[in-house]
Amino acid sequence: MYMQEDQIKQEERFWLLVSLRLACEATPEELAELEAYLVQRPEMGVRMEMLHGLWESRPADARRGGALNRHLQRLSNHLSSPALNYETAVPHEEEEEVKMVSTGPSRWVHRILWPALGIAAAIIVVFLFVGEQEPRGEAVRTAQNTVSTKPGSKSKIQLPDGSQVWLNADSRITYDENFRGPFRQVQITGEAYFDIAKDKDHPFIIHANSIDVKVLGTSLNIRSYNNEKKTEAVLIRGSIEVTLQSSPDKKIILQPNEKLVVQNGKAMMIIKDTLKRQKETAVPVMTLAKAHLQDKDSTAMDILWVKNQLAFDKETLEDVARKIERWYDVKVTITDARLKHTEYSAVFEDESLRQVMEALRMTGNFRYIINKKEITITP
Amino acid sequence: MQERIAFYEDMKAYNQLFELLSGGIFRFTCSLVKSREVAEEIVSDVFIKIWQIRERLPEIENLKVYLYTIARNFSLNYITKHYKNTMISLEELDVEAVIELNGPAEMCISADLIQQIRRIIRQLPPQCQLIFQLVKEEGLKYKEVAAVLDISPLTVRNQLAIAVRKIGEALPTYLQSGFTVINRFSHS
Repeated sequence: MYMQEDQIKQEERFWLLVSLRLACEATPEELAELEAYLVQRPEMGVRMEMLHGLWESRPADARRGGALNRHLQRLSNHLSSPALNYETAVPHEEEEEVKMVSTGPSRWVHRILWPALGIAAAIIVVFLFVGEQEPRGEAVRTAQNTVSTKPGSKSKIQLPDGSQVWLNADSRITYDENFRGPFRQVQITGEAYFDIAKDKDHPFIIHANSIDVKVLGTSLNIRSYNNEKKTEAVLIRGSIEVTLQSSPDKKIILQPNEKLVVQNGKAMMIIKDTLKRQKETAVPVMTLAKAHLQDKDSTAMDILWVKNQLAFDKETLEDVARKIERWYDVKVTITDARLKHTEYSAVFEDESLRQVMEALRMTGNFRYIINKKEITITP
Repeated sequence: MQERIAFYEDMKAYNQLFELLSGGIFRFTCSLVKSREVAEEIVSDVFIKIWQIRERLPEIENLKVYLYTIARNFSLNYITKHYKNTMISLEELDVEAVIELNGPAEMCISADLIQQIRRIIRQLPPQCQLIFQLVKEEGLKYKEVAAVLDISPLTVRNQLAIAVRKIGEALPTYLQSGFTVINRFSHS
């Protein structure tokens, strides 16, 4: 009986010594004591060595890649939130931003128009595109709501905060069911027009292909189809802040009726107007320009679809075809490569597929055949 | 590193700090809040906080302990806000330690045994699990764990001994192919 109690005490002491050794907290005396014990009880040594082996296994980083980038994105959102005091874009806030980049943009940056400042600085920073395009919010904390539209149909939804979203054809929006937390966040694929309810304490963030857009209360159009090369944001009212996912610590502030076009997944960045002098042949990764307004009531061309108008704004036949495919749920094939690049501008309201095709045929120089849901365009 | 962040607003040093410590803090936070998404957000908040108070960083004696402590507080705040409505303490919290268990191949530890050890760890008291995780996985010293969990270093020492004993007693006292291991041991 006494023997047993004694042995239990001894074993407890042994495990304490082992734990001290594993934690590298043992004194030389304690290590010596452990050695001595093991001479008496060699079978315990096997256990200790096994435990040692287990102890040494180091944890792998359990997170998805790009944790640092995601963090820097949040940090920059956080730092900039005072600047989002609506209509008061504070230039000096942004200057501080630029200082954060240790490379220090050269003097000419300061001479460029101020909205271009963020872009210009971003050029310096982004030399390699970091294609961070994983789907967001995979392991789900709260239930996710997804609303999607098929080709040929549109939809209007109201989010839990009262914001309204018009969803164009073949598009999808995803958001947390209860829509709580410091940010109101949605993920968008396809095209959507947002009329966002004001709530200064809960910035609204739209995640699209290549860009994240942060707003307080405003309306804007986002076009971000997976099968298109570019992502577009057009601001109608208010003020928004766009972050390139490839360069999360840089922001671009848009003014009303400005349109930002970002090429998805490109390595170089050139701005149309400010850097025209540079003889770069690549397609600009990002362009900031005025949105085209319709003549009669100066509505931005980009949001005519919300009014059920099918609009082409100097778009190539290839882009036109893609829009028609979504709008009428058909398949369009263009057989001739040269035809693809001819440009069209037009606005249609409540017209049938045949009427649209006929109008295009008359301005362009092509023929077409409609066979049920398939359209073939030939020279 | 602390000084570089504080005085030069050095983003590179800040990023290094993040790369160095955010993994461990993420695992620690995961054990508390049991959601990877929430944990990532909390870790991010912790590092935002660090950026905000960067001028004061040189005054902080042990930045690692400081970061873990903020993470603990943020996690408890989160849990209080989202699940319970009353303030809760660490002892009451149901935790799920994140522990890596991969013995070296030569150990021939069977998958069954690993499962059994995982069960044992899960059955340990919450505080004991956290101590085990912080010492084993993150390499914190007893004193550091004590500061993070707001307990005495002696408690850390005793609790770790309990965890080690519970796991150790589940291990076999012989090895099927453990000749090399025994040899290695006898020299140590």
